[in-house]
Amino acid sequence: MIEKEKLKSYASKLMFDMKDEEYETLQREFDVILKQMELISLIDGIKDVEPLTFPFELEEAKFREDEVKDVISVDEALFNVKDKLHNQVKVPKVVE
Amino acid sequence: MRKIVIGLEVHCEARSLSKVFSTGKNEYSLEPNSNLSVVDLGFPGIMPVINKEALRKALMMSLALNCEVPEKIIFDRKNYFYPDLPKGYQITQMHKPVGINGYLMINVDGVDKRVDIHDIHLEEDTASLDHFGNYSLIDYNRSGIPLMEVVTEPTMNSVNEALGFLEALRKVFLYCEVSEARSDKGQMRCDVNISLMEENAKEFGTKVEIKNINSFNNVKLALEYEIKRQTEILDNGGKIIQETRRFDVDSLTTISMRNKVEAVDYKYFIEPNIPAIKLDKAWIDEIKASIPKLQFERVNIYMKEYGLSRYDANILVKEKENALYFEKCLTYGINPKSVANWINGVIMGHLNKYELGIRDIYVNEKMLVDLIKAVEDSTISVKQGKEVLYKALTEELVPTEIIKQSNMRQITDDDELRTLVIEIINDNKPMVDKYKSGKNILDFFVGQMMKKTKGQANPSKASQMFKEELDKS
Repeated sequence: MIEKEKLKSYASKLMFDMKDEEYETLQREFDVILKQMELISLIDGIKDVEPLTFPFELEEAKFREDEVKDVISVDEALFNVKDKLHNQVKVPKVVE
Repeated sequence: MRKIVIGLEVHCEARSLSKVFSTGKNEYSLEPNSNLSVVDLGFPGIMPVINKEALRKALMMSLALNCEVPEKIIFDRKNYFYPDLPKGYQITQMHKPVGINGYLMINVDGVDKRVDIHDIHLEEDTASLDHFGNYSLIDYNRSGIPLMEVVTEPTMNSVNEALGFLEALRKVFLYCEVSEARSDKGQMRCDVNISLMEENAKEFGTKVEIKNINSFNNVKLALEYEIKRQTEILDNGGKIIQETRRFDVDSLTTISMRNKVEAVDYKYFIEPNIPAIKLDKAWIDEIKASIPKLQFERVNIYMKEYGLSRYDANILVKEKENALYFEKCLTYGINPKSVANWINGVIMGHLNKYELGIRDIYVNEKMLVDLIKAVEDSTISVKQGKEVLYKALTEELVPTEIIKQSNMRQITDDDELRTLVIEIINDNKPMVDKYKSGKNILDFFVGQMMKKTKGQANPSKASQMFKEELDKS
């Protein structure tokens, strides 16, 4: 079973936290997932199978020509902003 | 002696009209939040669509850096939570980037060096943040600008090699016209990895990463500081901690940001909104054919085929336009060494003084070659030639016209010159006596000649004639 500490550390990296009983539920759910993974890993030649990312192979890529379009005004861009200063979005100080 | 091991991650913004995944404007702007489309702000329901030109430029860089271009490329999401990233993830390339396993040849202090490239990938730039007392301000203009990241292998072994690589890489960006690559506009930024390796060790030492250094000079200072810091720790029997540090411009030191345990997990996964792209071979060939001859190759040609010194060759290739100017001159049939001297002397002096590019000056390649020819066939002297070129550059005139209009010529006719030599000797009897008493004052007589002819006499010829006449009498 996955350790609770590990889940807590992931949660912290994703910047959220949960109640103890929620972690326990998550642990049980993880247990099912990990068991399924284990089962899948037993399939012959599974390591040679490429992960499926897209449901179909697309041969032709769709590109966009290099054109400027639909640029919104500064007012529109900042329309939903709660706190602004000098046409910029003001947030609590974040320095890594 | 410990061996220095340096690897670099260089970010450079590509020049384009619109952004990499949106139709927002890719332009350096002083007006915050004015170049945006809803995609750049990560609004709900948005979909990224690749800018063909941005991809072309990234592929061009990949090929210029001798990378293998995969048949199929894919984009990935790099997830992290920070206000510079409105979507909560950055679209980048991790699994199949535009290029892998490349290299760039550089020359450091006269020695050729191959710097291996791990990969080059295309991604979107983030918003820029400014930090104040207790708040930060976000300008999203930079969000979504096409950004290329070049990741080297840890193959550089000195600060000079690292700087040499950065300079050479910058030239590739400029020669390919992929980016202006200006660090003062934040277009070129760099992370460095550095470790020290014990002399007989088989494995690298523990590396330290220094993030987001914004100028080549700061790269130099950060590396020098870090080498000193790590050396001191190791000398005192300590251990280097694997960590991420940042360069502090005020104290000129590096400061720890986070160690390995606190490392961010970016939870990369394939970007589902951009299907895998199968690259058309004909398109790749077309891009490859459009890459100009790069700086390293040009320097070698200038040295081997044209007999220039490395010093002169390096000056000529500093800007692609200067190299093209030089090469165009050669098509008019002229000695490469003398063209190099004229360009690197008078013309460069003029460009530097007035902060001009070579395409800004009035004197074109043909005009310069005609002037050099006038000097080489002794129509005018070198000194006169230089004066003409200065005048042509500052007053925007054709050099050969200046020569014609000012009746400039060089006296090379032997009889005419000898008559003048005899005249000067007769007018300067006391100096002739001095010469006879063994004083080496030949230059005095040549000086008199130049004065009398307003610089039109050929000085070496005059000098020889003075010697003949003075020794005769």
